[in-house]
Amino acid sequence: MRLVKTSIAAFAVAGASLWGLLAPAPASAKDIVINMAAPDWLPTRFMQEEFDRSYKSKTGNNVKLVIDFIPWGSFYQRVAASLSSGEKKYQMIVTDSQWLGDFVEGGHYLKLNKYIDADPELQAVIADMHPVLLSTSSSYPYKSTNYYGFPQFPDNLVTAFRKDLFCNPTERANFKKQFNQTLPCYYNEWEDVDWDRYENIGKFFQRKKGDKLGDGVAEDDFYGIAYQMGKPYDFSSMQANGFIWEAGGDIWDETSTKPALGVVNSDAAVKAFDHYLSLEKYMPPVAKTGQMDIFVVQDLYMQGKVAAIVDWVGVMGPVINPKLSKVSDKTDFAEPPGTRKPDGSLSRWSNIGGQPFVLTTWNSDEVIKEGLDIVKWWMSRPVQEKFVKAGGQSGLLSVMNDPAYATWAPYNRAYLDNYRWQKDVWHIPEFFPLLTEQQEQFDKAITGQVSAKEALDTVAAFQDKLLREAGRIK
Amino acid sequence: MIAPAIATLFIVNIFPLMWSFGLSFFEYKANRIAAPVFKGLDNYADVLKDPDIWERFQHTATIVVGSVVVQLIVGFLLALLFANEFPLRRYLLMLVLAPMMLSLSAVGVFFKLFYDPTLGFISRFISLFTPDTYVILSTPARATIAIVAADAWMWSPFVMLLVLAGLVSVPKYLYEAAEIDRAGWWRRFRTITFPYIRSLLLLALLFRTIETFKIFDVVYILTEGGPGSSTETVSVYVYRLAFQFFRTSLASALGYIMLFAVIVLTSLYLYAIQTRRAEPVNE
Repeated sequence: MRLVKTSIAAFAVAGASLWGLLAPAPASAKDIVINMAAPDWLPTRFMQEEFDRSYKSKTGNNVKLVIDFIPWGSFYQRVAASLSSGEKKYQMIVTDSQWLGDFVEGGHYLKLNKYIDADPELQAVIADMHPVLLSTSSSYPYKSTNYYGFPQFPDNLVTAFRKDLFCNPTERANFKKQFNQTLPCYYNEWEDVDWDRYENIGKFFQRKKGDKLGDGVAEDDFYGIAYQMGKPYDFSSMQANGFIWEAGGDIWDETSTKPALGVVNSDAAVKAFDHYLSLEKYMPPVAKTGQMDIFVVQDLYMQGKVAAIVDWVGVMGPVINPKLSKVSDKTDFAEPPGTRKPDGSLSRWSNIGGQPFVLTTWNSDEVIKEGLDIVKWWMSRPVQEKFVKAGGQSGLLSVMNDPAYATWAPYNRAYLDNYRWQKDVWHIPEFFPLLTEQQEQFDKAITGQVSAKEALDTVAAFQDKLLREAGRIK
Repeated sequence: MIAPAIATLFIVNIFPLMWSFGLSFFEYKANRIAAPVFKGLDNYADVLKDPDIWERFQHTATIVVGSVVVQLIVGFLLALLFANEFPLRRYLLMLVLAPMMLSLSAVGVFFKLFYDPTLGFISRFISLFTPDTYVILSTPARATIAIVAADAWMWSPFVMLLVLAGLVSVPKYLYEAAEIDRAGWWRRFRTITFPYIRSLLLLALLFRTIETFKIFDVVYILTEGGPGSSTETVSVYVYRLAFQFFRTSLASALGYIMLFAVIVLTSLYLYAIQTRRAEPVNE
């Protein structure tokens, strides 16, 4: 009897599957291709793979997501060139958060409020988003309730360090002897690391080829620390801004009530920027060329040439991948260092990273619907969980608050803790000239052509002129 | 029959030229919806008054002079070498010609890796003779030399090819006669060889000057104009004005000033060619 029942069930399943295969698609089913511009890295590669593997459109249309993977260094220029040329190539764009103002004002990004208002699922996503991300990744003007995007990948800076060195008893004893400080090994020890101790770490782990290092010897010249110091895109500002904020300075007056001169080049900002520059001497020599971008930092660390780095959590997946990294099994993670305040506590302000994905204004209603369905699919709990377990991050509180979240990847705890300390750059249409000028002046300071003060004086003068021309400073 | 060709030429070449020329007289940002506002010659005046732009012209001139001189010397010496028969000449010639067949971006990436202070073999080799790691791209002077070296490596074979064409066209009986007259090496070169290659050398000089004047890829990939803006050429600056600062009209105006400079160089070349045609080779 059991055999008969099993056979009937098997036939039923087989029949249903066959019917599913042979049944024609709905008469109205259409082929819809959604082209999406995106930076080329793990979070977007995963999205493409997962979409191809598991996405099924609810409308019955044959929806294809085609991601145009663009290298980070030229990401903005490529997207900006496409949008300003009027080619209307992309239906969706993974956009860096600070671009929103520029491309909303340019008429390229679709305002989503009416779609959100009409869709409880999207409302639930908005309600579930981390408030920092809601203001940095979704809204324009900054912190308003005009919504344009949802976080494709939220990001912040974390520390990766060589636990085989930092937890080595001999190294710890030597560090203590030399600096009368603890060489941080455990997460809670790293929580008390300020930039001065980070500098000592840099000094301490500067080793020549053949010097003793941990339980062995350095196979090549070895360096203590590294963080981004690169000219392209935002590859120095994203680190230097944190130093400035932590010291009580600012990169602009967000309220636009004060001129940039005196804010951007305040004494606190100059001192903080000088501090950022001063650590360069303990970094790999490529820092002196102004080309130590986030991927160079990651690569040097993965090749076992640096003891501790600060970099985006988004580039940490490969660091723990044994196929790509020589130190995958020797790495642990912590929050980035901070600046000691007079009361002894740490200020850890950091520039938030991450990218929302948006829809473009020239999409038909049908494409908008399909695009928003992709948004809902991506922001759904199962996909978000899968994404985090594959090395991504989530910006949904319901996922982030899962007690297991910190165990899904070794850097997740640092990512979660660091949310207390996030700020962002200019969310205004003039952001790219502001960023470009800042990057250029910072690069001059990094390569020793000008002092920290001279660099910030020039940035302040440029910002003042630009924001006055744009009517933002009266 | 030629209508499609003319239409294609108009669409891909003439129309963008005219359009950008028109834009250079307006105030316009390509990333804004606002309509262009007529400004007359203001953009050209702004370009000519801007000290940053003159600084970029100076960087460009330094790279052009450095690179073209090295290309002419190396190309000429290579041509003298390959004008003779020797074992494996054919294979060596193919190897020497390979750089100019590579894409500019590939050459930029190769040299960026070669110059990397931690991993690059050129930096590491120099570091054998210096107390500290030698960081090639860390100062304006070194970065300029690094760009010149990469560009010269790529284009010296082009000069060699032109000069070699001149060298192989010299009739052998002239050298035989010179030998009978017991003419020395220098006299043979000055009175027989050089007249045959002079116009080709001039052609190489002008071709390479015009091309190097527009240099973009190698600079952008190697240094992105850095350290700071110390190696930023006019082409790189046009790109940055257009796609980073979105000053579309100003970038167009600067682009046309570059075009004007190239036209002047081309006219010089044509004048030189005509002058050479008027002079018969002194046999």
